[in-house]
Amino acid sequence: MGKMKKFFQYDNIGYLFVLPAFAYMLFFVGYPIVSNIILSFQDVTLKTLKADTKAFVGFQNYIELFQQDHVLMTSLWNTLFFTVACLLFQFVIGFALAVFFNKNFKIAKPIRGLLMMPWMIPITVTALIFKFMFGTDVGIINYFLQGLGLISNNIDWLTNPKTAMIAVVIANIWIGIPFNMILISTGLTTIPKELYESASIDGANKFHLFTKITLPLLKPTIESVLILGFIYTFKVYDLIYVMTSGGPVNSTQVLSTYSYKLSFELFKYSKGAAVANILFVILFIISLIYLKYVYSEEEA
Amino acid sequence: MDEDKKISRKQNIGYCIVALLLFAVLLFPLYWIFVTSLKTEQEIFQIPPTFWPHILNDASYKAQLQSGDFNMFRSFANSLIIAISSMLIAIVLAVPASYGIAKYNFKGKKAIILGFLVTQMLPVSVLLTPLFIMFKNMHLYNTFWSTILADATIGIPFSVLILKNYFASIPRELEEAAYIDGCNRFTAFIRVLIPIAKQGVIVCGIFSFLYAWGDLAYGMTFIIDQEKRPITAGIFNFMGQYGTKWSYLTAFAVVTIIPVALIFIFMQKYIISGMTSGAVKG
Amino acid sequence: MKKVLATLMTTALTASLLMGCGSNAATSGNNGEATEETAVSTESAESTESASAETGSASGDVTIWYYWETEGHQAALNKIIDDYNASQEGVKVEAKYVPFADFKKQLSIGASADELPDLVILDNPDHASYAAMGIFADITGKFDVSNYYDGPVNSCTLDGKLYGVPFGSNCLCLFYNEDMLKEAGCEVPTTWDELQDVAAKCTTDTRPGLAFCSLQNEEGTFNFLPWVWSTGSTSYEINSDGGIKALNFVKGLVDSGAMTKEAINWTQGDTMNQFISGNLAMMINGTWQVPTMREEVPDLNWNVAMIPQDTQQASGLGGENYAVIAGGNEDGAIDFLKYATSDETCLYMMNTMGYISADKTLAAGQFDGDPVYQIFVDEMEYAQARGPLPEWPDVSDAISLAFNEVMTGGSTPEDAAAKAQATIDSIVGQ
Repeated sequence: MGKMKKFFQYDNIGYLFVLPAFAYMLFFVGYPIVSNIILSFQDVTLKTLKADTKAFVGFQNYIELFQQDHVLMTSLWNTLFFTVACLLFQFVIGFALAVFFNKNFKIAKPIRGLLMMPWMIPITVTALIFKFMFGTDVGIINYFLQGLGLISNNIDWLTNPKTAMIAVVIANIWIGIPFNMILISTGLTTIPKELYESASIDGANKFHLFTKITLPLLKPTIESVLILGFIYTFKVYDLIYVMTSGGPVNSTQVLSTYSYKLSFELFKYSKGAAVANILFVILFIISLIYLKYVYSEEEA
Repeated sequence: MDEDKKISRKQNIGYCIVALLLFAVLLFPLYWIFVTSLKTEQEIFQIPPTFWPHILNDASYKAQLQSGDFNMFRSFANSLIIAISSMLIAIVLAVPASYGIAKYNFKGKKAIILGFLVTQMLPVSVLLTPLFIMFKNMHLYNTFWSTILADATIGIPFSVLILKNYFASIPRELEEAAYIDGCNRFTAFIRVLIPIAKQGVIVCGIFSFLYAWGDLAYGMTFIIDQEKRPITAGIFNFMGQYGTKWSYLTAFAVVTIIPVALIFIFMQKYIISGMTSGAVKG
Repeated sequence: MKKVLATLMTTALTASLLMGCGSNAATSGNNGEATEETAVSTESAESTESASAETGSASGDVTIWYYWETEGHQAALNKIIDDYNASQEGVKVEAKYVPFADFKKQLSIGASADELPDLVILDNPDHASYAAMGIFADITGKFDVSNYYDGPVNSCTLDGKLYGVPFGSNCLCLFYNEDMLKEAGCEVPTTWDELQDVAAKCTTDTRPGLAFCSLQNEEGTFNFLPWVWSTGSTSYEINSDGGIKALNFVKGLVDSGAMTKEAINWTQGDTMNQFISGNLAMMINGTWQVPTMREEVPDLNWNVAMIPQDTQQASGLGGENYAVIAGGNEDGAIDFLKYATSDETCLYMMNTMGYISADKTLAAGQFDGDPVYQIFVDEMEYAQARGPLPEWPDVSDAISLAFNEVMTGGSTPEDAAAKAQATIDSIVGQ
């Protein structure tokens, strides 16, 4: 009892606060992670799904995927492209909007509030909206582009392997802008106004204010936004599944849709698990780098 | 707060115009499906397109009220139950956890943060089968609980990672003042720290709600009865059923969005104040 | 960093402990289920002996999964279920709609978690996969399928055992808009050349002449394969003269604009909607669309014809099968099936849904005096089945990738065919 009491003094009391949430996640997500790793080292297809013992095949699924399955490399590349493109535009536009609406003009708050709408709509509906707008002959996007003189012939956005990816990226940027905007907005409000005032008095111009005060003070927020944005974008599923199902000709196939397809359409459970693990490992490495970076920052 | 920085009348008008332009561009897709839903099928496919319905057609909406097999109101209520419950679970668990991470330096903290990050990285296909088996063994398969519990796994880590920044930004002196007033660590957390971090809690609540609200895969996998499924599953079925019949599809989309928009406009006051009230008014 | 590792290890340990619990539970569950299965199989062995004598002993609840989203189909199924439930005391049947896009996933996850219905009505090319998975009960000898068309029966059969009963069949035909063809001064095409020609003549600025569902999935494969078969090649011979010829033919249609490329995003339902909205002069589509089309556009002048041929007539055989789930309420499911496949009930279902009975005798008398359906019944003679092969989803995936590559211009027919053939060979083993 005494020992117990001693353990829960000072910093160790933190465990008590963290435990419930951590246990919850371990239970509902930890188990699937482990079972997925095991599955990826077995050879489970529809014929062996109900078998009592499943053969252990080591890295065979991974080797086969990398050596023989060109769709894997396509998906890997697509996932990276999708993530980087979305993140870049979402973040820049979201940041700009956050700064703009942080100005103290009349309708700033209600308009900023309404701009949250794209984020509130279920992704399934968003996918439907963009599928409609990207139609070749009657899609409004082609009409606008023609009107602006940017294109002379209609683009077959979703049925052309060269443009389908751009279309899903645009749809995802639309969803992601409010996410970036609201988190950065909240971050901006935590910066004391006095800092800007005193710096202005010292003769700093707007650019300096931004780079010397806003950016450094927003750093924790920006880091969270980017890393979370990266994770959510990297494992994108619903949007692509509903808009293109990974087509045409795998041009929008990403790791998550491919893993889903392998597991639930082609019944190659172990291969599907292996693809999911590849996605998982990439994200894991990225967050390790992120954490190490934050860690060394805090030490310094 | 409002007096912080005065801007001139001229600037005010300029900003307002830019804001309205941004508003029009970014929310155009929503306007577009709304007017499309009121057009006839011929007018939808007309070239050049019309920017408001020339012939008002409410048949697509009427058809939805009449077609009996899918009840939109029930699936909307299902989605609400699922999203609110999942949000509550996420907040109840994430708020203390983020406080613990922000304010205490216990061993393995970094690993725990990593752990929370890791849980968000799984593609949905990984979780479906193992969770399905778990829910079946827990007798939660085909109940709201299965989807509620699964959806909370998205909201929790997100909220923890966002909220820890809020708690970290609260000065230690505030907490210490509470101890002097006779609070212990838990009462200080509940009476002093949570109210200060209110804005963050609200934002996390909103996000957790929205993650659960937008979920398609869990609701479709863990619930088999159509009458218990969330509205996203309803839309997905509807797309399968009506394919390219855009007047129907857009009407369905609008009916899905209108209630969301109403809740949002009604809640906006709270959301905005949560977002923008000063962080520490100590 | 060391600390991180240490905690990670702990986490992993805890996780593996949890995992341990999980797998224990699963094992014991499996054991239980295994005994159950043995029990059931002895039982079914007994009941085979006296199959015809006792069918009234079944009891309990029977759940059916099906995927028809058409309201008329749902109503028809519910009606026969209500009639059946009212006709006897023991068994209570209930049907659950599972969307098509979700059906495979729900069955395969359900199989790994032992959470399945008692009876399913499923798409026939998938039948062999699930039979191979071991989730269907062997019902050899319990149903007389000798008078059924071969294609549907083969799709229920694996290794000589019967794992289901054909529900009903459909096939593909050419639908054409009579007014549009007349306007363009065209006769109904019967060969590929004529089809290419008529499609081109019927194409205007606002509408293409022809479309058929070309999705990169089973639905697309179903609509593409008749072109291959018509050359005399089989589903497994894509990199053959015939296969490449079929790919070239489809490429020609798309490249000339006579067929819309949008079709790679259209389901068969979408294609039908475009056709009845007057946005298409011709389409390839199935039997089941006829009741909907008659109801929605009674004034549209349309008709059907056999699919234009290359060297031989060919069409795709579609339709569903009933399959009893092993280890479920097999007796109850079989009892309901006896009712559902009886002549009268079957005929009611087929006529309401616009399907052709898989029973030759029933089919012959089914559509007396209905010229549209008569053409479908005639086309049935040339309708080929996909598979049956447990790995059919893989083969189908390779084929649908090939024609998508060709239609989008990403690949030449030769390259696409060679790639598809490599995949197919690795599955079928030459």
